[in-house]
Amino acid sequence: MRTRLHRSSRTVAGACVIAAGVTGAAWLSASSPNSQSHPVPMTARGVVAGTFFTPPDGGTASSTVPSYFQGARVCADLNDNGACDPGEASTATDRNGRFVLHSQQPGPIVAEVLASSTSSAGDTEDGNKGRKAEKGKKGGPGGSEPADIVVAFRASLDQIVESASGPGKKGPGDGPLSADVVLSPLTTEVARMMEADGLPYPKAKSDLATRLGVPVEKVLTDLNTVSGHADQHALLTESNILSDRFTLAATMVRRHDVSPAALAANPAATAPAIAMKEAQQASMNLEGIPRYDHVFVIMLENKATATIKNSPFAPKINAYLNAGNQFTSYFANGNPSEPNRMAVTAADDFGVTDDNSYTCVPAGDSADAVEDLPLPTGVSPCTQATNHNIKNRSNLLTALAGGGMTWRVYSESMNPGRDPRADGIADPTVVARDNVYLASSPVGAIGNPSLLIPFASSLYKPKHNESVNFQNVRNSAEFLGANRTMGGGQWDEAIKAAYPGWEVDQLGKDLWSGDVGQLNYLEPDQCDDMHSTTVQGTVPPATTKITASDCGGSAIIFRGDNYTDYLIKKIQASPVWTNTSKRTAIVIMYDEGTATTGFNSCCGWNPSAGPSIAGKSLGVLVRNAEGSESVDTSVAGYNQGNKGHGTSIFGLLTNQPFAPKGIVDSDAYSHIAFVRTLQDVFQLADPGDDWSYMNRSKYTERFIAANLHLLPEYANSGDTHFDAVRPMNHTFVIPGGYQQKSGFVTPPGPQVGPDGNQTNAWAIK
Amino acid sequence: MRRRGILVTIALAIVVIGVASGRRGRAESMNGGRAAVPLRLPAVTLSPAAQAGRQIFFDKALSASGQMSCATCHDPQHAYGPPNGLAVQRGGPTSSASGTRAVPSLRYQEYTPPYADLLDNPDGISTPGPGGGLTWDGRAPTLAAQARMPLLAANEMANRSAADVVRKLQASGCGDPFRRAFGPDVFHDTNEAFAKVLDALQAFQLEDPSFHPYNSKYDRYASNKIGGTFTPAEQRGFAVYNDPKRGNCFACHYNGAGLHGSVRLFTDYTYAAIGVPRNMAIPANRNPRYYDLGICGRVDHPLPANSRYCGMFKTPTLRNVATRRVFFHNGAMKSLKDVIRFYNTRDTNPELWYPIVNGVVQKLDDLPLPVRKNLDTQAPLDGRPRGSQPAMSDQDMADLEAFLNTLTDDDGTASGYSPTAPTPVSDTPVRR
Repeated sequence: MRTRLHRSSRTVAGACVIAAGVTGAAWLSASSPNSQSHPVPMTARGVVAGTFFTPPDGGTASSTVPSYFQGARVCADLNDNGACDPGEASTATDRNGRFVLHSQQPGPIVAEVLASSTSSAGDTEDGNKGRKAEKGKKGGPGGSEPADIVVAFRASLDQIVESASGPGKKGPGDGPLSADVVLSPLTTEVARMMEADGLPYPKAKSDLATRLGVPVEKVLTDLNTVSGHADQHALLTESNILSDRFTLAATMVRRHDVSPAALAANPAATAPAIAMKEAQQASMNLEGIPRYDHVFVIMLENKATATIKNSPFAPKINAYLNAGNQFTSYFANGNPSEPNRMAVTAADDFGVTDDNSYTCVPAGDSADAVEDLPLPTGVSPCTQATNHNIKNRSNLLTALAGGGMTWRVYSESMNPGRDPRADGIADPTVVARDNVYLASSPVGAIGNPSLLIPFASSLYKPKHNESVNFQNVRNSAEFLGANRTMGGGQWDEAIKAAYPGWEVDQLGKDLWSGDVGQLNYLEPDQCDDMHSTTVQGTVPPATTKITASDCGGSAIIFRGDNYTDYLIKKIQASPVWTNTSKRTAIVIMYDEGTATTGFNSCCGWNPSAGPSIAGKSLGVLVRNAEGSESVDTSVAGYNQGNKGHGTSIFGLLTNQPFAPKGIVDSDAYSHIAFVRTLQDVFQLADPGDDWSYMNRSKYTERFIAANLHLLPEYANSGDTHFDAVRPMNHTFVIPGGYQQKSGFVTPPGPQVGPDGNQTNAWAIK
Repeated sequence: MRRRGILVTIALAIVVIGVASGRRGRAESMNGGRAAVPLRLPAVTLSPAAQAGRQIFFDKALSASGQMSCATCHDPQHAYGPPNGLAVQRGGPTSSASGTRAVPSLRYQEYTPPYADLLDNPDGISTPGPGGGLTWDGRAPTLAAQARMPLLAANEMANRSAADVVRKLQASGCGDPFRRAFGPDVFHDTNEAFAKVLDALQAFQLEDPSFHPYNSKYDRYASNKIGGTFTPAEQRGFAVYNDPKRGNCFACHYNGAGLHGSVRLFTDYTYAAIGVPRNMAIPANRNPRYYDLGICGRVDHPLPANSRYCGMFKTPTLRNVATRRVFFHNGAMKSLKDVIRFYNTRDTNPELWYPIVNGVVQKLDDLPLPVRKNLDTQAPLDGRPRGSQPAMSDQDMADLEAFLNTLTDDDGTASGYSPTAPTPVSDTPVRR
């Protein structure tokens, strides 16, 4: 975990006093016991504000509204530990969330929202989620027990000074300080950013405003009163996300999690317990994975590491791998495409081993019956022994929506107006010319400029759409709106000509408007993703069918390499990337490789062979209502799934200027490990609760050891690290002499022993 | 894997005689003689149909001779393959008729799809081609359909008809479990009862773990289990297996993720003509006009329209290959060592494998000239010049054999599965 404070925030803040005028640091210095100056009293009036989030419910979208907290404990945090301690002046917010706090000394202000607190926007709640919180617990005098604190908000002293009026505003010794201050998730975030990055207050505040695209004067105001719909929407969304993070921080404190600083020094440390400020930092860096605003996953098709690594047909992808960061022992989850899409969305393929429609459900299985009826044009009912319509199982898309975040699946070459649940169809009215390559290209002189190729069927396939196999996702309000088009295709111009008004490149628009999702799967068509499909045309007036130059063979690798480069350049040219206050990452990956070297997968995989393990049933591990754990054997054919299909490349690019580059992480990871990582990126799980990670992504070594009786596929493991899931954080030091499994066979071959460094490829600084 | 397109051959005018000769072949030792007894099986509750199938599988009363059951040729002591070194087994009413092809193992057939001229390759990448189906030419689409063939073949169990089988079943001790599985009235309709016999045999093969134990050393290796560490020779042999320039075995004996969640089956179900030498130990081959040409000997693949498929036989799984004493469709090879050497030197040293007549090596002597265009051209059978360097060194071949020995199931422990929990060796540090 690389969240150590590299510099003392206080020192830096103090150094900036000259430029920034009177700062909180100056006040703290002036009021410290060793100061020559006498402490001055502080009177702070203000409000504790946040957001009230109503989760999505079926086809009803979520909503986030501003709110005030009543009954929150507000104190002058004179020892600046992020908590209200005995001896620190404190008060409680009224029904309007307002408070007046008198303190003999100035200090940062902390608002502890307690289990007994209530929100102006709804029932009792925790940080903001609209969930019921325990009522009736009261904190002790002068300070609350951690057990009562649902979430803590803070205002830095700099913010208080900035908001101050009266004589004290000019500086220590100038008289009592009188401030009017807002405490919210956003003010807390500014305080946290100052501490994490050693930023002066104005810089932290403007960075946050720049990241959210709102005027700096609005970022720390009362969300209930902020003007402008777009600004308020951006602030409410972020406030909601931050509330979740800081609520988790309070959970860590309440649970007495071990301090990350202590663990960094000694992984076996059992003390001291984490404190609130440290927990708020940790909540932005779960399992060593930093928060990102946007992740773009470019999903390519069916090429093993050895096919791409150093291939003359993939020069650009190789250049990106080397210039960015890469994972060199990355395993697919299954074969063919569809189970891999399910795995990168849900960390499980639920026994699906083919590309069949989401409508394929076992005969008589009413529990899994498709609910979104009538079926769209081009989709038929289907009966199959394996269920392809996954219901009520966790997945990233539902989880993101449940956290007030958004997802997108951008697909290239979609038929205008056609439902994303249906296969693409041929369209003779949309005709493009064959792609022509020069003799100097890696594929040589191929292509016929006179060859006219009508839009082929199967350029778009639901088997390559992460959102289609999950009933909860298809039921959601955002399903159709979150499935969007992506340009750069061979037929784009012809589509525009034949279908005026159809937007072939919603991704391009969204990158400039900022309306991309937190998580974005980019799915090129079956010619641009290296998959291949039958694409033929004619040279009029001849009617002989001629196959397109570059939708098969080695040429398709070169074509896909160029398209990947196009997508990356497009993202990197947009404000989503160039605004480095936003953290944006691009993943270049394949859905599967080709398994021939022995190890099909790792990290949450199903290492058993055949349809069953003799005498044992495999199924989905579930925690029952009464707290017991068991195997849910209701998923027919579950043991056929999650068997993997070998290694493929995995590249990671980030827009953070100080992020480490050139990192090679050769520890074993899988789609399941990737989903765990994304749960950390977007705080969709709690590292302190194994069961909060979805489906097979909870299968860490520790978890497997504790639940081995329910996981027969892992018995007698020869390498428990290899079998188990971990976030992609490069923490594990590969033992000397250990040879990377299924490493690519071209030079330099598998990694032996530890990597050159243990730097986290996801690190942002 | 890496199938190239099928070569189209010109029309043929050769006679394919599919009738077995009753004459005795060249003397071959009748090794074994041990009674075919079922293995001690792991504790799995078979369905009633599978229990009935198990009884039928071992019941010699269901043959004309009274001496032959399914297990006679598909011996569970030999991975459900032949118990001896005979190229073809003997059967018929007096146990004196010979078969025409070597007995394949019944193990690991549960994922085999029905035959198709253009089957999608299980690797998800290679060009579709002839693949799937059971028996050496794929004519049986299911295990049930396959079971019908030996029951009624005149040179095997030699029952005269379906009714004959059903009548014997009623008279044998297997009648009761059969009624338990399919109802007391099952024998009322003879055709229906015979279909249930085949269903029962299929159910037994699908359900009983002894048909797919997945407990070889290779399984322990590939499923990352204790005891799965390869010796240096095995590791080198695996590299030879996977090296497109040396063994290139994986190209057809595909060991990756396949159809329907299958893994490590060591076949991609495809067909290839590789020119195995004619085996004169098969009585049928005494007739110089007789050629066993695989797919194009099937009634549904008549000549000349299907000449492109002539000479093609199914790629068998290599699981338990080291337990066999006859190899290829005609049993022309007697040791795994010879098989490897054949692949390596068919083209470089054909004189080792084919008859020499008047100083001329009769290479590909079991493939009529017109169908030699169907020959597979993948390494090491890539048509390299006679006298040139073989693809594999002697060391490579020895290593490859060592690797292939890891594919032998551990029949000593039946399942090899043990639920003992090891201590995790390297937990990820917990970050909270």
